Amino acid sequence: MRDYWLSKLFFDLQSSPPLGIEYRGDRKKILDRYPLKPEVRKAVERDDVVFLASRVNPYLLRFYFVVAGMPEAEFLKKVRNAGAESAARSSHG
Amino acid sequence: MAKLVGVFASSHAPLIVRGWKDVSPANQESLTRSMTEVGRRIKAAKPDVLIEIAPDHWVNFFINNLPSICVGMGEEHEGPAEPWMKDCPYKTIKGHPKLAHHIVETALERDFEPSMSHHLTLDHGFCIPLWRGGLDPLPPIVPIIFNDLEPPFPTVRRCLQWGAMLAEAVRTYPEDIRVAILATGGLSHSIGEPTMGEIDEPFDRECIQHFESGDERRLVDFLNERLPTIGNGAAEIRNWVAAHGAAGKRGFELIGYCNCPEVYVGCGYASWNLGVRA
Repeated sequence: MRDYWLSKLFFDLQSSPPLGIEYRGDRKKILDRYPLKPEVRKAVERDDVVFLASRVNPYLLRFYFVVAGMPEAEFLKKVRNAGAESAARSSHG
Repeated sequence: MAKLVGVFASSHAPLIVRGWKDVSPANQESLTRSMTEVGRRIKAAKPDVLIEIAPDHWVNFFINNLPSICVGMGEEHEGPAEPWMKDCPYKTIKGHPKLAHHIVETALERDFEPSMSHHLTLDHGFCIPLWRGGLDPLPPIVPIIFNDLEPPFPTVRRCLQWGAMLAEAVRTYPEDIRVAILATGGLSHSIGEPTMGEIDEPFDRECIQHFESGDERRLVDFLNERLPTIGNGAAEIRNWVAAHGAAGKRGFELIGYCNCPEVYVGCGYASWNLGVRA
């Protein structure tokens, strides 16, 4: 499953370094330009890698968190836990 | 008539550029040796034009319009857009519209329907192997983008057929020019997935054996069965399959392999012996 507007946000951010800088300075201002579903926007705001991973291409996910400024080690830890966490979230309905 | 004078393959891991200082000296030496050798062989083949097959890493295309295969027809292409590729010497890259046009015509005659672009940006997937191979100046490039990033992908068998069709397009191109093919990407790696950073060296070694054996059915069966089970980056092996098809499924020679965790990629480098005189 692909969330189009989430994917578009990630695509735009990795395509435009100036937009990436603007995003790191004021996420809300940029997020307001995209018609994200409320639960998707919340996941972006709290860097919920597991939630986002199931909705975008993995390369875009990776590029987004580079642009967003998440340290590599933290991203690796979160994305590597994504499989187990995703299964756990599913099993809890 | 044009002549196919070389077929090559090379990995293109971004961290070869972006994280080079963190690569161990032994792996730096291995990668440098292989990339330099691929570049040396391309230069030795003296191509007038290089057809390059690589994926697009969300630079030219997005999910609102995502071709399975796109041929770059332009007189000129843009160099890489990634900020960390700023030192790459290729700011603009000359194309070869006439050969590109002939490739698309041949494709259509053979029941392939590629997309076309008259202005592409060639990202790290295209440029790292050229840059690190020491190709400066570059021959004109006909870029061909295979969708290796967003499923569903072109089938392995179709990629093999694409390669054979490319070789036919070169053979039937009416000008007396030398043409080489470079496929980039692979081997095993995983990006943005729970398995990110995992390299499956046994898979890579078996894959290499199948290229070496030249047994088409075993190669196709192996990749059909195994590609869905390993990291997403291995999808780029489709580009190697197209190169293999262009080479007539024979003459594969491994130049080097480096299981390089620092760049997250099982890096492979190869050429196909076509028995062509220089």
